[in-house]
Amino acid sequence: MIIGLYHYIALAVTLFAIGFLGVLLRKNTLIIYMCLELMLVAATLALVAFSHHNGTVEGNVFVFFILTVAAAEVAVGLAIVVTLFRKRGTVDVAKLNALKN
Amino acid sequence: MTTDFITTTAQSGSNPWSYILPEISLGGLALLLLVFEIVFPKTLKRHIPTLSIIAQLGILVLTVCAAMRTRGNVSDYFYGMLANNTGAQFMRIFFVIVSILVHGLAMISLKKQRVPRTEFFHIVLVITAAMMLLAQAANFLMLFVALETVTVGFYILISYYRASPLSLEAGLKYLILGALSSGLLLFGIVLLYGVAGNPDIMSNIPLSEGGFRDPLGFERVFFGFTSGINPFLANTGLLLVLSGIAFKIGLVPFQIWIPDVYQGAPTPVTAFLSVGSKTAGFAVLLSLLRIIVFTPAAKVVVPFLVVMTFATIIFGNLAALTQHNVKRIMGLSGVSHAGFIMIGVLSMISVMSEEGYKSGLFTAIFVYLIAYALASFAVFGVMALVAGESDAEQELSDYHGLSKRSPFLAGVLAVGLGSLAGIPPLFGFMGKLLVFISAFQAGLYGMLAVAILGVVVSIYYYFGWLRAAFFQNWQTPTTPSDVPAHPADRIRVPVAMKALLAVLALASVFFGFYQKPVMDLLVLLRLA
Repeated sequence: MIIGLYHYIALAVTLFAIGFLGVLLRKNTLIIYMCLELMLVAATLALVAFSHHNGTVEGNVFVFFILTVAAAEVAVGLAIVVTLFRKRGTVDVAKLNALKN
Repeated sequence: MTTDFITTTAQSGSNPWSYILPEISLGGLALLLLVFEIVFPKTLKRHIPTLSIIAQLGILVLTVCAAMRTRGNVSDYFYGMLANNTGAQFMRIFFVIVSILVHGLAMISLKKQRVPRTEFFHIVLVITAAMMLLAQAANFLMLFVALETVTVGFYILISYYRASPLSLEAGLKYLILGALSSGLLLFGIVLLYGVAGNPDIMSNIPLSEGGFRDPLGFERVFFGFTSGINPFLANTGLLLVLSGIAFKIGLVPFQIWIPDVYQGAPTPVTAFLSVGSKTAGFAVLLSLLRIIVFTPAAKVVVPFLVVMTFATIIFGNLAALTQHNVKRIMGLSGVSHAGFIMIGVLSMISVMSEEGYKSGLFTAIFVYLIAYALASFAVFGVMALVAGESDAEQELSDYHGLSKRSPFLAGVLAVGLGSLAGIPPLFGFMGKLLVFISAFQAGLYGMLAVAILGVVVSIYYYFGWLRAAFFQNWQTPTTPSDVPAHPADRIRVPVAMKALLAVLALASVFFGFYQKPVMDLLVLLRLA
């Protein structure tokens, strides 16, 4: 079997779906964070697959921007999670419900 | 080799660096503020925000000049990364003004907390510059990077009161949902790239349209749609991109973050989110308009937008009815305002798809945005002044008896809320009227009916707030007197803030009677 574009896209969509469902269903902030990263990585995989298949180089360049943005997001996000853990002693999203009317 | 590159860049025909001079200056100013924070003696440090505002007034002039020069002459610059999109020049001016107003609110609000101050203004400036670039983006790479700069900046701003668990919790909620929507947007971009990059569509691209273009550019994606290669991937991609934008705008079902985040965020950030971030979402929507309207994707995408708009107006108004926290009221009513602006966008789409592009179609949207910004900032200014130590807990009961304690603030609040509710003759009424007229002309009668019902409901909760301020007296707590008597007793309105609020309130009244200056501005920017 030759592995072609659509195999890569199918894999990327699967990873993306796992990440998406993980964000919606899991309760631990750190695992949610991993799932968010998984979504970005799935998009990157699809990007590289398309880039190779179409013979355009822009997709490969885009990957570096995605990595940089993801790094910035993680830096800020983990800072918020750590500070919140110090204040509240938990990072369980089900228990973080002080903001309710 | 390097010198060659610099020389050719500097001399390249249109010398594009000068087109984004305002954005560069904002970025430079942001860095300069951090330097000031280090080198200034303590007495001067207090004036850093004032300095920043003065510098931004200069940048505002620069932006207006840049907008005047760019408006009709240039189509795209930086090799198609940026373009003179519909409304881009308007948005640039708009965002600088929003940034100045946010500075004004922050100077009031940050004083009540023990937090570092300069960094706040630094991040506001960076976000503003990114929003201005976002409005001009003509390439999905540019769009993604600018949008993420805005979003990551907002993660920091929302959790800025780090001593307050509520602010941090709001930050975490925005972080998770924001990153989720960025993920959707990114995957959508990737699918569009896959379709637009397909070598088979090259034969369909007319040479006059620039021929070889970046497959991430909006133009090339447009041809990807029209050449009909794999419509399933393309439509899915566009829907995912629009979901990412809908998150920024706050359309149902992507509005779930709004009440909590608006409540927990510091008041100036709430104002920035509800005016700046929302408008940035509309700016992106407008620059994607060509792809949405003139491609076969319209059959899939437009019904999707229509359903979301219906749901947004209904949800926003009904959910705001039961709230007691004023920040949540502002958040949920902001959702319904996004719905009203969407009506303007949809009626424009419906006219455009039949009669093609006409510049006069956008008037209603921009007038509504100006009216919404003026009224919102007046209300948020009053909120920043009335707020106590805990920024997240601003209840309707805090406003009891405000008219007696501070008639000026009560007056500004009345004008602001009246304009948001759309009471004639205030400016907000004109905004709503223009949107409704354009919906009527486009034949969107069902939507018009829902919108008018929404306005009626919104009057109820806005006037509930006014009732608290004007007709309900403050009950002094029976507990011992260590409880502060009334939040308004502590209010000392600085002169500059008083002037700012007076200007905002008077503008809402004045433009309600006399819209010529606003129309002149839009005509000048070739939007009316």
